[in-house]
Amino acid sequence: MGTKKQKTNKKPSGKVLETKRKRLLFLAKMEPRKMILYPLVVFLLAALILAFHPPEKGIDLKGGVVITVYHVSASPSELKNYVKEKTGINVRAEEFKDPVTGLSGIRLYAPAGSDPDKLSDVIKSKYKDADITPRVVDPTFGKIAQRQGIKAILYAFLGMAVVVFLFFRDPVPSGTIIFSAFSDMVIALAMMGVLGIELTTATIAALLMLIGYTVDSNILLTTRLLRRKEDTVEDAYLSAVSTGFTMSTTTLGALIILWLVSTSEVIDNITIVLIFGLLADFMNTWIFNAGVLRWYIASPFKFTIKLRGGK
Amino acid sequence: MARKKGVKALILNWRVLLLILFLIGSIASISTRGLTYGIDIGGGVALVAEPEKSVSKDTLNGIITSLQNRLNTFGVKDITIEAQHDPETGRSLIVVKIANVTLDEAKQIKDLIESQGVLYLEFNGVVFATGTDVTVHSSNYGLNLRKCSTCWYVGFDLSGRAKERFKEIAAGKAGWPVDIYLDPPVNSLLVVSPRVYNEMQDFLGEPEPGTGTPKPLVQRISEAFNITVVEYSNQTAEDIVENATALGKDKIILADVPEELYSEVKESVLSRDLELRVSHYTPQQGEDLKDFVKRTLNLYGPYVLSKDTATDLLKGNTETGFQLTGIAPTKEEALQEARKIYSVLRSGSLTVKLHVVNEEYISPTLGASFKKQAAIAGIGALIAVLLIVYFHYRRWKIAIPVASTSLFEVIIILGIAALIRWNLDLPSIAGIIAAIGTGVDQQVVITDELLGGTAGGVTRRMSTLRRMARAFFVIFASATTTIVAMSFLLVYFVGTLKGFAVTTILGVLIGVLITRPAYAEIAKYLLSLE
Repeated sequence: MGTKKQKTNKKPSGKVLETKRKRLLFLAKMEPRKMILYPLVVFLLAALILAFHPPEKGIDLKGGVVITVYHVSASPSELKNYVKEKTGINVRAEEFKDPVTGLSGIRLYAPAGSDPDKLSDVIKSKYKDADITPRVVDPTFGKIAQRQGIKAILYAFLGMAVVVFLFFRDPVPSGTIIFSAFSDMVIALAMMGVLGIELTTATIAALLMLIGYTVDSNILLTTRLLRRKEDTVEDAYLSAVSTGFTMSTTTLGALIILWLVSTSEVIDNITIVLIFGLLADFMNTWIFNAGVLRWYIASPFKFTIKLRGGK
Repeated sequence: MARKKGVKALILNWRVLLLILFLIGSIASISTRGLTYGIDIGGGVALVAEPEKSVSKDTLNGIITSLQNRLNTFGVKDITIEAQHDPETGRSLIVVKIANVTLDEAKQIKDLIESQGVLYLEFNGVVFATGTDVTVHSSNYGLNLRKCSTCWYVGFDLSGRAKERFKEIAAGKAGWPVDIYLDPPVNSLLVVSPRVYNEMQDFLGEPEPGTGTPKPLVQRISEAFNITVVEYSNQTAEDIVENATALGKDKIILADVPEELYSEVKESVLSRDLELRVSHYTPQQGEDLKDFVKRTLNLYGPYVLSKDTATDLLKGNTETGFQLTGIAPTKEEALQEARKIYSVLRSGSLTVKLHVVNEEYISPTLGASFKKQAAIAGIGALIAVLLIVYFHYRRWKIAIPVASTSLFEVIIILGIAALIRWNLDLPSIAGIIAAIGTGVDQQVVITDELLGGTAGGVTRRMSTLRRMARAFFVIFASATTTIVAMSFLLVYFVGTLKGFAVTTILGVLIGVLITRPAYAEIAKYLLSLE
């Protein structure tokens, strides 16, 4: 319906694209060597952080007891002390609040092996209206979930690598895409460690989602540069990076809204991991991968590129 | 006029038509079949149980059938039981999900799953039947209104051997207690407080005059299961452990005794490095002592041998089967009790004990708030996409189609989910978000290719068709990669992330086959108007 109203805006739209490209021109002017170097430094830094400060495992991977109590009139420390006094179990209490539904509650984290029924009975006996949601994970199950999670990421990654390689049939561009995806994950994991986001099944799902996004942007870039129809590599890169910029900002915007609106811990953690993963991906695709490709296209070692598909 | 024709041609374009058809189909599917939700959204309980030792696939299937039986007869609806067998480690997991239950029901269900040990029927200190001897015919339970309004009964039949034994020991003993145990603490030392000890002298049923006196519970469990009951009179932990080792027990159970004693006994066992398991039971608030004893022993009942059965046994007339009877305070409780014992008897006993390793309970009211939140978050994200895309292109002509295509994609994914009765859980929703996110990305790719040569002073060297071909090469390449990566999840990994893989693959497929081609047509049309 808005089409008629916007007719007068036709020209500005062209301008917007143009200014965007101008703004991104600094990327095109960067030396390929630096483009490769900086992201590598970031990757190494992230790897170092990851090595010394890996993200904590959440209870679904580690095992333990979490009791979420809604509709309770006590403060977290009150509840904690009450539980400690009645059961002798040392719990960690944390308050949370949902700005949309106005729902608030307290999460109690108890060590693995604590009796959830006892805890909920004790709470229920003092706070009659409390809505209690226990979650219990046995450490052995945590180990199984852990193994499955690692397997999931590994297989998804291998599958991605094989398909990317089959599409481009050229070790350098495919290798770079695979490395970019890997670096995205390492950076996202390092950020999780820094921000204290736990590694859970949900965040593993987020890491898997990252593979999808990474592949999207990297394939776009590689295709645009290798099947270039523009006059120069710079032009091709500029048009690709402007598309990439639109893609990333749109997804990031949607994710930030999701993060603001949702209070579900699961969705919050997924979006945070994705936001950092996508920021890392912007760097790895449009700086690192672009740098490698620009160097590669100009280098004498270049393979004869034969791309399949399309006419 | 020319413009109107263009709209018509656009709608009749097969790609757009396909989108419209799918959209209508999805809306119909959602409205007629409705969406089904996973436990983490809809509310309910999810339990993961692991057999105590590794079992073959056949045994696992047997366990699942029994479990299904047991839970069905327990009276809960919406049960899914799924087995995961890891061929690498030989480990099996059983995932039980039950929607819409209260926390109390969830606890009972957990108990029901964990107490899958061996079923024993015991009469006056003699075990006369185990699980395999018992047959219960469908729906053979209910209220016995002729007797009283809150009297219940459960009918059952026994194997020939068990019948003989039962006849020998129980003939004519109307009103005597029949105890049913599921996984009793066989060969253990039971240390109880004086009041519990006294209570245990009871449990005598309502013997008819002239039939004699049944043995007290303490004696019955001692003869049947080698459970020695000791009254607690300030013995030290050392004494208790000493006693248990001397009697060759494998388990010490402390009931209604001070908590400190429990930790002392545990310490003592640990320091001596003994193969003794120690457990501790305390009566819950408001719990009847009788119920407490039953909980400690995993005793159902005692149920009383009905007069008819007793005389039938005497006469050797056992063709009609047997009945357990009891009285409860209210009609509801009577039915509940009957149903519980019916389900326990009916499913028999399992070959392996199950241990619940993962338990998650979400109350249905909270589930509703999750749903609301997810909807708000989704709409918010869609508006964000609309505004950001507008900001980039400054054209509603692009922003509105991009955002509405994403909305259509969600509707179609949900429609197919409703069609295949996929339970939407949080991972599934994450998968939808992932699919929509890549969807928006790809629409941007299409749009930029369409706008291609017009901006930035780049010469228009490619026809629209060739630009589209390039855009779709990118789209197909990334779609293939995502689908392949996610298929691995689906095949090799049957865990909680399955929902994620399913919705991602579904979303990507719908995107590549339906929404993306349609969007390209719509965008081409709208931009050609300029």
